[in-house]
Amino acid sequence: MAKARKSRGESMLLRYLVLGGWALVCLLPILWFLSIGFRPRTEVITPQPIYWPTFSLDAWHLLMSDWPIAKYLRNSVIAVAGSVVIDLMLAIPAAYALARYEFKGREDIGFYILSTRMMAPAIVAVPIFFLFKTLGLLDSVWALMLIYAAINLSLVTWIIRSYMLDIPKELEDAARTDGAGDLTILREIIVPACLPGIITAAVIAAIFAINEFLFTLLIASTSNAYTMSVALANFTGGSDGIIYNAIALVSFIAFVPILILVILIQKHLSRGLTMGAVKG
Amino acid sequence: MASIHLQNIEKKYGAFVGVQNMSLEIADEEFLVLLGPSGCGKTTTMRMIAGLELPTGGKIVIGGEEMTEIDARDRDVAMVFQGYALYPNMSIYENIRFPLRMRGIPKAEHDARIRQAADMVELGSFLDRKPGALSGGQRQRAALARAVVRQPQVFLMDEPLSNLDAKLRQSMRVQIKHMQRQLKVTTVYVTHDQIEAMTLADRIVIMNKGAIQQVGTPDQIYSDPANTFVAGFIGSPPMNLIEGVAQNGRFVAPGVTAACPGYVQGRVTLGVRPEDCHVGGDNVQGMVYGVEPTGDTTYLTVLAGTKKIEVKAAREYRSDIDVPISITFDPAHLYFFGEDGQRIRGAA
Ligand SMILES: Nc1ncnc2c1ncn2[C@@H]1O[C@H](COP(=O)(O)OP(=O)(O)OP(=O)(O)O)[C@@H](O)[C@H]1O
Ligand SMILES: [Mg+2]
Repeated sequence: MAKARKSRGESMLLRYLVLGGWALVCLLPILWFLSIGFRPRTEVITPQPIYWPTFSLDAWHLLMSDWPIAKYLRNSVIAVAGSVVIDLMLAIPAAYALARYEFKGREDIGFYILSTRMMAPAIVAVPIFFLFKTLGLLDSVWALMLIYAAINLSLVTWIIRSYMLDIPKELEDAARTDGAGDLTILREIIVPACLPGIITAAVIAAIFAINEFLFTLLIASTSNAYTMSVALANFTGGSDGIIYNAIALVSFIAFVPILILVILIQKHLSRGLTMGAVKG
Repeated sequence: MASIHLQNIEKKYGAFVGVQNMSLEIADEEFLVLLGPSGCGKTTTMRMIAGLELPTGGKIVIGGEEMTEIDARDRDVAMVFQGYALYPNMSIYENIRFPLRMRGIPKAEHDARIRQAADMVELGSFLDRKPGALSGGQRQRAALARAVVRQPQVFLMDEPLSNLDAKLRQSMRVQIKHMQRQLKVTTVYVTHDQIEAMTLADRIVIMNKGAIQQVGTPDQIYSDPANTFVAGFIGSPPMNLIEGVAQNGRFVAPGVTAACPGYVQGRVTLGVRPEDCHVGGDNVQGMVYGVEPTGDTTYLTVLAGTKKIEVKAAREYRSDIDVPISITFDPAHLYFFGEDGQRIRGAA
């Protein structure tokens, strides 16, 4: 009888310990390169361990003066944001049609769309290069925007479709008897009800686009259209050798937008929004 | 506003028949109640009238116009859905306003109409909440308000009060009836609740397994059931149905005998309502099986042979169980049904 149950406080403490430990493991590399980024160059490459690093903005100043980071960031933002907008404009109606309209071959078409994602990108690299060359779009942010949009379109469609399938059909029936047409239903009922899904899809697409490397390298031949991901890979620190602390700092800067997006997605990942629409 | 004619409509899901060969004439301004067990096709019938489900056969005419294949939004029908179907991202105010916006009702009228509908269902103080922040009964009332905020050709209400407590249900019932009489909108109403059906309906339609069993006024349904299904479905407790044999004006079953008309012959079922059974006399010889006082009456269950017979006894009636008891039937209120379950009626 005397076997005491664990008190609530104890089990909470255990939970925090485990989760906190895991968080530390995950965050350590990030903190590590952040610390490298803010140390003097010499300190980074000494073989002896250093317990109390000195703080230095050397790398930061170097980047700001020698490296057109603003331009790369701008290229990234334009290409990524533009591609996500294009994706959403095409994917939302497509997902709605795939989720709701009855037509022959609906499942097949849905699967074809998804299957474009399964192809190895290298297969289409050469044709894409020539296509954009012919279009005169090489070395342009707009080309990147289109490519990112194309790469992510299938995934975005598929994610949004799965959220739309979860919306009770009765909601649309109600809107229809209330007198709403297809577009009104899509705009006023469906989109708000699957907003978490749309945001999730948009953030995932944005993360993929930010990290896209192969096609960006292919299309962006000069720093004119470099995005953060390609600029980062090409960056060694300039003419006098590899500058590790600058590289670490650039990596961190490239990582920040993704971090922000992940924090955003986390808030919207819950599917609770349709709660209360239907009985039970 | 509009009459509704259903002509031989039918709904099949693959091989399964949801609604079969249903014909019904609903008069203009009529309040019609669909009553039947779960899964008998009530919602399906409503959805076909609303235009949300295409019948696999038959014709639907609303207000003199053939509507069978017309889209729901062009039918001018307002529906309360069994699952409420409130728009989750909109406040209750916006939910109720939605049909007004969609049907192009002048903006100036919106606010007054919304408040009037909300007051009717006693939700006036919840207008700025989202549906997720309401209880089940409140959601149901919001769904009702959204349907009655405009004046359509037809109201379709699929169990609009099922989730309310007894008191609220009673007051809503009166409200709905009053409103329907005032607006004179043809109404089809689905319920499981017999009291609701009896009190609201001009006519009741009893359905079972996708087919109409009987159509009639509440009185007709109650006092003149067409078959054993209707007899056993209506009334609480429902009619006693006792299987036995009739011969030469005498009905006999284990523990039961009764006089019957001469045209009732062979294997038949005797029906008698609990309130037409009285303690004493000689129709039933049995044992007391249970006694249930409910306050204003006492229900008595008598075991005759293997058959349990419900009797509505006097309020102060009490008895131990397993004591012998005899029962008489009111001879003016006996019903006889043939082997097919249909009522046996005299040649007259
Ligand atoms: N989409 C569908 N596919 C297959 N069968 C269906 C479909 N919709 C309804 N049914 C079937 O049709 C029958 C009638 O359903 P309906 O919803 O009309 O019943 P109901 O009378 O409204 O029942 P309840 O009182 O439980 O609401 C049921 O047996 C149901 O399983
Ligand atoms: Mg139903």
